[in-house]
Amino acid sequence: MSNARFQARPATDQTGRPDFISIKNFGFWYGEKKALKSMTLDIPERQVVAFIGPSGCGKSTLLRNLNRMNDLVDGIRHEGDIAIKGQSIYDPGLEVISLRRRVGMVFQKSNPFPKSIYENVVFALRVMGVKNRAVLDEACETSLRKAALWDEVKDRLNDNALGLSGGQMQRLCIARAIANRPEILLMDEPCSALDPIATGKIEELIHELKAQFTIVIVTHSMQQAARVSDRTAFFYLGELIEYDTTEKIFMNPGQAQTEAYISGRFG
Amino acid sequence: MEENQKQSTEQPPESRFQVSRSTLLIDLWMGRIIRLGGISVVIAVFGMLGFLVSQIFPLFSKAKVESLAPVNFSQTGNVALGEDEYGEMPFTCDTKGNIIFRKAGDSSVTKTWLADFKTATQASDGQNAAPVSIPVTAIKTYPRDGLVLLGLADGSVRELKINYKITFDKNGKRELEPSIDLQYAGKISENNSAILEAWSVKGTEGRLYICRQQKDGHDLLTGRRLIERKGLGGKAKVTVSEPFPIAADVTDLERVLVPSTADSLLVIRKTGEVRVYQNSENTFSLLQSFKPFGDAKNAQIAAAGFIFGNVSVVFQGNQNEEVVWSLYPQKQADGQMLRRWGKIHDCETLAGVGQGIFPAAGNKCYLSVAGGRMQIRNMTNGSIRWEDSAPASPIQQVIFSRNYNRLSLLCEDGKVYRWAITDHHPEASWNTFFGKIWYEGAEGPAYTWQSSSGSDEFEAKYSLVPLIYGTVKGTFYALLFAIPIALLAAVYVSHFLRPEWKSVIKPMMEIMASLPSVVLGFLAGLWLAPLVDTHLIPILCVIGVLAPSALLAGYIWSKLPQPVRRRVGPGWEFAYLFPFIVLCAYGAWQLGPTIESTFFTVKDLASGQNISDFREWWRQSTGLNYDSRNSLVVGFVMGFAVIPIVFTIAEDALSNVPNSLISGSLALGASRWQTVWTVVVPTAVSGILSAVMIGFGRAVGETMIVVMATGNTAVMEANPFNGMRTLSANIAVELPEAAAGETHFRALFLGACCLFALTFIVNTFAETLRQRLRKRYKMN
Repeated sequence: MSNARFQARPATDQTGRPDFISIKNFGFWYGEKKALKSMTLDIPERQVVAFIGPSGCGKSTLLRNLNRMNDLVDGIRHEGDIAIKGQSIYDPGLEVISLRRRVGMVFQKSNPFPKSIYENVVFALRVMGVKNRAVLDEACETSLRKAALWDEVKDRLNDNALGLSGGQMQRLCIARAIANRPEILLMDEPCSALDPIATGKIEELIHELKAQFTIVIVTHSMQQAARVSDRTAFFYLGELIEYDTTEKIFMNPGQAQTEAYISGRFG
Repeated sequence: MEENQKQSTEQPPESRFQVSRSTLLIDLWMGRIIRLGGISVVIAVFGMLGFLVSQIFPLFSKAKVESLAPVNFSQTGNVALGEDEYGEMPFTCDTKGNIIFRKAGDSSVTKTWLADFKTATQASDGQNAAPVSIPVTAIKTYPRDGLVLLGLADGSVRELKINYKITFDKNGKRELEPSIDLQYAGKISENNSAILEAWSVKGTEGRLYICRQQKDGHDLLTGRRLIERKGLGGKAKVTVSEPFPIAADVTDLERVLVPSTADSLLVIRKTGEVRVYQNSENTFSLLQSFKPFGDAKNAQIAAAGFIFGNVSVVFQGNQNEEVVWSLYPQKQADGQMLRRWGKIHDCETLAGVGQGIFPAAGNKCYLSVAGGRMQIRNMTNGSIRWEDSAPASPIQQVIFSRNYNRLSLLCEDGKVYRWAITDHHPEASWNTFFGKIWYEGAEGPAYTWQSSSGSDEFEAKYSLVPLIYGTVKGTFYALLFAIPIALLAAVYVSHFLRPEWKSVIKPMMEIMASLPSVVLGFLAGLWLAPLVDTHLIPILCVIGVLAPSALLAGYIWSKLPQPVRRRVGPGWEFAYLFPFIVLCAYGAWQLGPTIESTFFTVKDLASGQNISDFREWWRQSTGLNYDSRNSLVVGFVMGFAVIPIVFTIAEDALSNVPNSLISGSLALGASRWQTVWTVVVPTAVSGILSAVMIGFGRAVGETMIVVMATGNTAVMEANPFNGMRTLSANIAVELPEAAAGETHFRALFLGACCLFALTFIVNTFAETLRQRLRKRYKMN
């Protein structure tokens, strides 16, 4: 099996902090069920890290722990710690709301609010209490430009966001997530419901956003992981099997399970 | 392996792909049954609407009047008319006082009675003077009482009673046999000159005779009363009063109107002035004088007539005037309220000189004749029931039958023209139900609902406006109480409360919705109303303190350090809030009496001492009424009936907001409240609106609670401490006593229609709004 077809991108310069997100001995339970076995990994600043693995392997669970979205679920429990820039996200003094303002998230299924495009984009700013129209306008344009959506929607910012196409909606969700300039962007299978052209656009976007944001992306598409990420983590049955540069994972995986998975033998 | 291949290559039997006959049949028939059901529902709804409309339609139709064959009495100077109950055998009196009965069918004479009154034989010098016939000089008939009053040239009167005896011949055919009895003969005044006009009315104090004679070229009115007192033995004792002069000061006498109550008298002068004399101790003293058409015009009064009930008079002028004057309480210069005559209506007029006002018996209609046209009108609402051209010959007398189904006109040409009237709802008009009407005896035009009374002469008042007002008022107070509580509870339960609590509370609320409203009404009337009555201020204090204390709790909470707050899990906040609110409410309850004594102390009118009583304070400081069964109580309890359904539907709508939106909002750093307020509520707003509309529908149609918890007084006051009568309660209370087909019955149906229209309009409006909102916040 040759891995040549995966044109892995070379890792970019690691100018940022290498342990921007630091996951240490982190384990996680849904009630009695252990969803994540104790794992440790560091995510460097301004890089794209892809989580891959078969369904139910825990990659989404870990992602949703990074901004504590799992808090909404009943009967959860965790061990170990996750720290962002050295500060634990479980620090009792830390408001979960401020954590989420720092860690943006894009969901698998695009979920624009039933409001205008403009109101969707500035939502995060509005809930932060920003009222200055100029600031909002500016943030809206910047975010939409960054999300490569500005040219398509600039004439109908006051139209309902639900009138957009699937790919546009997902880009709108990205624009919405980056409007208040978070440090980290979590993407939970952002392209799973999109056609190849829209997927390509989003991937382009991830490349561009990397300059500013640390991006963690969960994907089922190994080609996508290979195309967009600098580092890749492979999960299997709640366990972190392997975590390395994308090039390494796809060209020369260290574990047999990883190789089996990326070559399509299971999963 | 081989076997498998063999099986798969084998063609399955064709029957596998055939649909069984029974499946097709069931499909076909179920489709038909469902279609039938749907169509039946539509038909049923339209049928009900059609029934409602068919019930109220007759209210707005005019009178149907059919001309009957005239009875020919031939031209022999007939001046007065009378008839039996069914109009089968009318009679006329000619100028000589002779009475002729004729059959209505073929105008054949059945009986003739000749007036022949002789002077009494007087013994003078032992010789009997030959009796001399006394000519009849005045004739008046009272058809309703079957009386004929004749005035003679010697100043005496004869009152004749006309009786119709019903007999059946061998073939069972009904025959009428008229008979004439002399009921009274005597003099009214001391004056022996000829009687020019005479009146006889039976009031509460006995019969009153009035006669008009001439003395020295002046008109002279004299009255005499016959007072009958029934003893225990059964024999009536009749006392005859002394003759007394009436309106001795009047000159230029034109016409006298005597009401059948015999307690007053209207004298109309040729100058157009009306003088009212009121009975007091067998004398008539001047009460008031007025000019019906105003002082500016010196208009003469062409015709006038008392309307049934004897408190209103219609005056007709020579120059297209027709006005109604009535007796009602008026504020005098000294501030006293006294019953005086005043103008209550300006009627539409017929062009031409007024030729007569002839009232109907038993209702407020009258025949107005002017300029060759005649109209049947309703005095109260001014509606014209019927119009036709009047007979060419001048009208001598008009009789409306007792039950307002026949009209007979005696004309100078000796003919009695007759019409059959079909007018079941003369008192009904658009104005009656929805307009301000000045009823007799009222101080001004008003919206009044008063459908029954003990008196026969009472005029039912059917304004639906106070009922619509009451409905809106009751609904307003109920929704004011219910909507905030229900919606906030729905928001809380759907997005803040822990799921295990929600699974208990939601079914509990749904069970609450099934509480019979009669139970709630019973509680409201017998438990809550007395409680609120005595503890109003503490209760208001508790209500007032709830929201601020919850806000205060929230403020304190937000100031607590994060580690302390962390100890309370999400969804358990109420465990902290609840004791706090209960404590605040208890404090407010305890503080209530102090507040009442501080702010609401008034002097008790009865004892003169200072008492702290909000109810008394309210009465004295606002001048408004305080009822124990008031809108507040209805609002509370009807609110309880409305809360569960509004809550349930709103909660469903809020819970159905997709989780992806909530996570999306939370992931963007919105707090739970921000998420609910900016994302969940706008998304669910159409569902919430539906919940509110269903609550509105429930409150508008709610009957038992309103019947039991309010005084059911049809008043129009926004005062929260007053009762109301709603359309639905009105129907529930009055339908059992309304006779089918009567105006009252149909008015109740009209109320039902109004109720329907009210909900229909509001629901249509809300549905339009809901569709718009749904489009705006539509989910894909």
